[in-house]
Amino acid sequence: MTIYESDLPGVGKKFEVELDDGERLVIVTHNTGKREVYLKANPDADGDKLFEVSDQLARKIGTILEGAYFQPVETEQVETMLGDDTFLEWYGVTGESDIAGESLADARIRERTGVSIVAIQRGDNLISPPTPETTIDAGDTLVVIGDREDCAQFEELLGGGTESE
Amino acid sequence: MATETALVDVGILFTAVALAGVLASRLDQSVIPLYILTGILVGSNVLGELPALAGSEVGIGGTTVTVPELTLGGVDLLAATGGLALTDTDFVVVGAEIGIVLLLFFLGLEFNLERLLASRNRIGKAGTVDLAVNFTLGFGFGYLVFGGPLAAVLTAGIVYISSSAIITKSLLDLGWIANDEAEPLLGILVYEDLFIAVYLAIVSALVLGGGDVATAAGQIGIAIGVILALLALVSYGTGFFQRFLDADTNEFVVVRALGVTILVAGIAYALGVSEAVAAFFVGMAFSGTDHVHDLERLLEPLRDAFAAIFFVWIGLVTDPGLFSPSVLATIAAAAILTAPTKIVSGYLGGKIYDLDDRRSLRVGLGMATRGEFSLIIASLALSGAGTGLAAGTAETIYAFAVGYVLVMSVLGTSLMGYSSRIEPVVVGVLERRRVGSAQPAEE
Repeated sequence: MTIYESDLPGVGKKFEVELDDGERLVIVTHNTGKREVYLKANPDADGDKLFEVSDQLARKIGTILEGAYFQPVETEQVETMLGDDTFLEWYGVTGESDIAGESLADARIRERTGVSIVAIQRGDNLISPPTPETTIDAGDTLVVIGDREDCAQFEELLGGGTESE
Repeated sequence: MATETALVDVGILFTAVALAGVLASRLDQSVIPLYILTGILVGSNVLGELPALAGSEVGIGGTTVTVPELTLGGVDLLAATGGLALTDTDFVVVGAEIGIVLLLFFLGLEFNLERLLASRNRIGKAGTVDLAVNFTLGFGFGYLVFGGPLAAVLTAGIVYISSSAIITKSLLDLGWIANDEAEPLLGILVYEDLFIAVYLAIVSALVLGGGDVATAAGQIGIAIGVILALLALVSYGTGFFQRFLDADTNEFVVVRALGVTILVAGIAYALGVSEAVAAFFVGMAFSGTDHVHDLERLLEPLRDAFAAIFFVWIGLVTDPGLFSPSVLATIAAAAILTAPTKIVSGYLGGKIYDLDDRRSLRVGLGMATRGEFSLIIASLALSGAGTGLAAGTAETIYAFAVGYVLVMSVLGTSLMGYSSRIEPVVVGVLERRRVGSAQPAEE
């Protein structure tokens, strides 16, 4: 794969990229920052213009091609709705949480908040469904079902130890 | 002239330019010939003649028509329209000067000596073929038609120099920029631009210095001194220019660049050196800094606006009456002679770059366009009227150059546009000749 580079005085620079099947991709970078991209069917053919883009957009496309394009997606807390007002939520438990170390029976989660814990993710294991004797450890991820209000209460119960994911 | 009138005049000027631009894009032509025609039309020689038309007799093809007096609501229409005519006011003249300065400043800015040296072999060969063929022909033509060596040198320059602006734009519009013919075309243009900078320095000294070498010698001495000073500026000034343009805002970059460029050009002009050459060197001095990109981006619209004024001014000071049958015949002869020579020299240039017949022909077709620099030489000839040149000769050369550029800019743009139809024919002929000739084809 050869890349030919040449100067275009008064215009900018030209890069010609050999593609696998004898085609060539021609990229003209203007002094103004604009990029024009052409495709030649073979080295002797005339270039067909594919598109032109601004400097900024060209860089973005370049990072996508490079496989380095990553933009963190800022979202609200992940919410999965089941039915009208029932949510499936994930909560992380930290060592600061009051209920860390208690069994489900002792923590009386459903009585105090109204949510049901349907599964506990501990490392690579999934405990589902948990029994009343199952203890809640720091580092667990609790999968709970409840309406919006119940979930908010449960979050409060976890207190400083919540870690929404 | 009252201020309010002057403002209206500038408004009319730019409106006319804008309309010409619309027409140019409709016709798929370069704006340059249309700007010149606009200048001729709105000038005192055409539009300004209207009030005198009323009641006069005009001969059209053997029949004589008396122009009626057109009045509307008590207003003489012809007189009113004629009142809109523009003259070459100070604004237009200085604007045209700034246009020349910025055109050459950009040449210098984009001129990269290292780049030129890197590909000097091919650019040098192709450019020298171009120079040898066209400059020589132009010189001979000018000597025969206008008489005298100075007129011949001016004609040689007018005929030799292709239009960087039009050709570069056509390359982009046609998509040739991605093809192999772009390199020899742009390479030859760089060679021409460098040549024309040196040429303008010498010829302006000859023209303004009074033509005879003895008087011009002192002038050339001053010119060389100024150019040496400018070269020193280019060599040692980069660091200074770098700091000089380290400004926070675009506004400061623009005013500083304009300030230094126009000031240096103005001082050079006052000393009798071509302001265009001075601007070229200032551009070169800036080309070493890392502000090139910003300068190009910020000054390009300014350059184009002032260059438009320059082309309109060219038209304004062109009296259509100068296009006598003999001048028209000269223009026709020059076009018939120099379009093919450019095509041939361009073709040879393409061959130097190892291109095939079709692409080499494209280089030739592309090079046929003449434009802004021929006009700069024409305005130089006009400024030498009465000193270096007889007034009549200067005016004739000027009219010739304007007409020639009008023809060649339209012809060159059309040749490029229709090249897909021209190529098969010419390439076919070339191949048949190769097959037909006894000698093996040289590839």
